[in-house]
Amino acid sequence: MNNIWGDMSQYNPVTWHWVIAVYLFLAGLSAGSLLIAIAMRWVKGDREESPVLKAAALIAPVAICLGMLCLVFDLTRPFHFWLILVNYNFTSVMSIGVLALLVFIPLTFLYALVVFRGQLATIGLGFLQGLADVLNGLRKPMETLLFALAVIVGAYTGFLISAMNIYPMLNTAILPALFLVSGISAGAAANAVVALLLFKTPAHDHELGRMHGIELPVVGIEMLFLFMLFCGLYFKGGAAAAALASLTTGTWAAVFWTLVVAVGFGVPLLSLLLPAQQRHGKGVMLLGALCSLTGVLALRHFILYAGQSYLG
Amino acid sequence: MNKRYVMVHDENKCIGCQACNVACRSENQVPDGVTRLQVRVEGPYGEVPDLHFKFDRVSCQQCENAPCVKVCPTGAAYVNDDGIVTINHEKCIGCQYCIAACPYKVRFINPVTLTADKCNFCTDTRLARGEQPACVTVCPTNALVFGDANDANSDVSKLLNSAPTYREKVHLGTQPRVYRIPARKGGIEA
Ligand code: SF4
Ligand code: SF4
Repeated sequence: MNNIWGDMSQYNPVTWHWVIAVYLFLAGLSAGSLLIAIAMRWVKGDREESPVLKAAALIAPVAICLGMLCLVFDLTRPFHFWLILVNYNFTSVMSIGVLALLVFIPLTFLYALVVFRGQLATIGLGFLQGLADVLNGLRKPMETLLFALAVIVGAYTGFLISAMNIYPMLNTAILPALFLVSGISAGAAANAVVALLLFKTPAHDHELGRMHGIELPVVGIEMLFLFMLFCGLYFKGGAAAAALASLTTGTWAAVFWTLVVAVGFGVPLLSLLLPAQQRHGKGVMLLGALCSLTGVLALRHFILYAGQSYLG
Repeated sequence: MNKRYVMVHDENKCIGCQACNVACRSENQVPDGVTRLQVRVEGPYGEVPDLHFKFDRVSCQQCENAPCVKVCPTGAAYVNDDGIVTINHEKCIGCQYCIAACPYKVRFINPVTLTADKCNFCTDTRLARGEQPACVTVCPTNALVFGDANDANSDVSKLLNSAPTYREKVHLGTQPRVYRIPARKGGIEA
């Protein structure tokens, strides 16, 4: 402090840090893994539980709970967390998100019960068998509700930060859509990793191949939305256009071009050019999926930090 | 009629002495390292010997359309009966959404209470006792004028009706209630 007016450290415009970026990533991942797995199940009219669906049923509750831990322990008063559950403000995206999560989180657990109902006895949860069988009877409405909530949760992570009109890069209409789509690509990648490693699915599994096939259009849409975001800022001019400097200067520019673009988009897309034999190998699939996950996590960091660094 | 408390900071009269800053710290028990109010001294501008400084009051702008109130999930950031934007510390969980959303970056976490904090025109202390905010009372040059802009006879109404003023970041639709009288010597950048 060397100003007569006092310490300036509280005026740093970057308020939310990496813990929040990780939370946004995990919530999007949880929603995205379910969206893609449930959609694939519907399209195929599956009767049995595919490895991809099992992976999603496991990832969704775990990821969202880890995300909630990030959120709660990032509060300055984590033990007053309950206050957010009893007080609501309907102009606050956070408050609306709490309502959605209050239904989404328990539902992800119940859905896991349904998907794993055949294995409950072997993992010592036999006493839940009755509940799982009853819920299985309600599967269609349950899946529909879960799917709708996953869309809301995925988009909410974008709305949460786009609701602040002081940050031109965040305050855009495309951000919730971008986060939803990149959450789906992270979800697909995580489903592949868990299916391959935990459920020992062979890499040539038909289902995995199909999910891999959806990846190209999803990544394409993701890149298109990013491009639209930057164009929107450029056309708006003024402070919004100034925020584009985040693409050319500073740490976050490096993060964007290396981790988001080269690793997150480049590696998985280039792997599609490999001959089919290698492309569907376990190693290549795992590498592609881990790169996608890294890219999405880096994108959340880039948007959050670069977004908060430029004021309108 | 509802009250519409506003404050005017005359940048011609201000000398950047920080008496307001210190008075605020003492009245509102603001801990070291954080501030509700500071007057930034910018400059010097101009040619020697005609140098001048610009004085920028940095504190809550008391937005009539307050982003902090809109985003707060618990209602801890709220509008008081007197129209002043303030904080119910009991309800604050410290999510910092309001701090991120405030366009003027004047909110902070109070290291003692661990809740969000900022200027509230002394609504719960001096105003409640019928006195003017601490900064206004203590200013040696009377650069600060505070009062009800809905009362046509108040000093602040008369001032607003006679002097040119500006407010910060009006393009964001916040309707700030802190007005500034620009310094005649190029207070607004050329
Ligand atoms: S200046 Fe910031 S803290 Fe004050 S009312 Fe406006 S948004 Fe809230
Ligand atoms: S930090 Fe406190 S006052 Fe600010 S939005 Fe969160 S709960 Fe509300």
